[in-house]
Amino acid sequence: MNVRYANPYVIGVLLGFILLFSFYTMGRGVGSSETFSRIAAAGVDLTAPQHAEEGHYFSKYLSKKRSPLMAWLVFLTLGAGLGGLFSAFISHRIKGEVVRGPLMGVSSRLWLALLGGILSGFAARLARGCTSGQALTGASELAFGSWVFMFSIFAGAYATAYFFRKEWL
Amino acid sequence: MGPLYKFGWFDFAYSLQIAGLIGFFFGFVLERAGFGDARKLTAIFYLRDFAVLKVMFTAIVVCMIGLLYFSVFGWIDLSRVYILPTYIWPQTVGGLVMGVGFVMGGYCPTTSVVATVSAKLDGLVFIGGMILGSFIFAELFPLLKGFYEAGSMGAVRLSDVLKINAGLIALFVCLMAVGAYWVVEKVEQRFGDRGTLPGGSRRIKGAAAALLIVLGLILAIVNPDRIAAKRATASPVEAVKKGEATEPIAPKAEKPASIHFKIVEDEGC
Repeated sequence: MNVRYANPYVIGVLLGFILLFSFYTMGRGVGSSETFSRIAAAGVDLTAPQHAEEGHYFSKYLSKKRSPLMAWLVFLTLGAGLGGLFSAFISHRIKGEVVRGPLMGVSSRLWLALLGGILSGFAARLARGCTSGQALTGASELAFGSWVFMFSIFAGAYATAYFFRKEWL
Repeated sequence: MGPLYKFGWFDFAYSLQIAGLIGFFFGFVLERAGFGDARKLTAIFYLRDFAVLKVMFTAIVVCMIGLLYFSVFGWIDLSRVYILPTYIWPQTVGGLVMGVGFVMGGYCPTTSVVATVSAKLDGLVFIGGMILGSFIFAELFPLLKGFYEAGSMGAVRLSDVLKINAGLIALFVCLMAVGAYWVVEKVEQRFGDRGTLPGGSRRIKGAAAALLIVLGLILAIVNPDRIAAKRATASPVEAVKKGEATEPIAPKAEKPASIHFKIVEDEGC
């Protein structure tokens, strides 16, 4: 059932062209972490609108004119979901499961996924971008901070990988 | 001349449709590479499968070369491309934390979306975590504000910091990428599962590597910075005119181009 994954170099070249197309048409690269920040902002705006006013970090997403979700990167992330769904569908890879190593329990895996997500979301806001919005986009335009960011990701992950080996191996 | 949006070729609503299109292909290729699976992604940290590094470096190199050649040919005005500003300390710490989040949670933001749509529950939980993490950051923002702005260097590129021209930097990046491919393939052969690693003929790989280096060499000799600077001083008006001349194709051509420059504040990620 699982069709073999594509050659990473070929994928890299295609991704490079997609990124280049984004730069050529929009003058900016791709990204997705902002989407989740905007979802959080929309949630705050919905439940406690006065909380996110004046000086709050989320206030930059909120304007009277349009919803915080009416943004370029939100649409890009929606597209990414559709594209991923299409690809998974045509190679029969849509299969409900919790990805983990053979020695890992489901609930501990999900807790770690939640914690990892929290760290990721927090770090993406701190660094003003994620692996795609900061590392991929910034590195290809040779932005200095983005290269530092990219190597920091690898450093952080390699330094702690040992402690999570049971989760994956 | 690109970037088309900055020259007023289309409006905000149309740009959202383009975002959807770009996103579609983005998600599609990520899933093709197997990046909807946390074990495939994290295998890089156990030296078994370097697909993540190969995809990232190749995409960066291809896009970088494309941008610089486009700039040399005068197809894109790099000064109108949004360059991510450097805030060295938050980016270093953010990178380290994100690395830990990656190996702990198994995904990065975009790949978790791809995982979620292929029905991986951990991907969905990771997304929930990211929303929560963003919320926590926003709540702590008053405390973090000083650090968030620390080490601000403006929109600097490697060429500005190292004081070398961008073409030479591009050559170094190409050489680094080829070197990295060579090293990680050796490592993979040793630690990885040979049955699942991608094949590919040595001859094609060698030819591609040679092509990369040649493209980098040409850039190093041509020096795109100099050409872009020359063009900017020679005809600052002409570039804008060119954009306007083609504007009738765009639906909202009457609008002044300046209103399109407004969405600058959140162009990062």
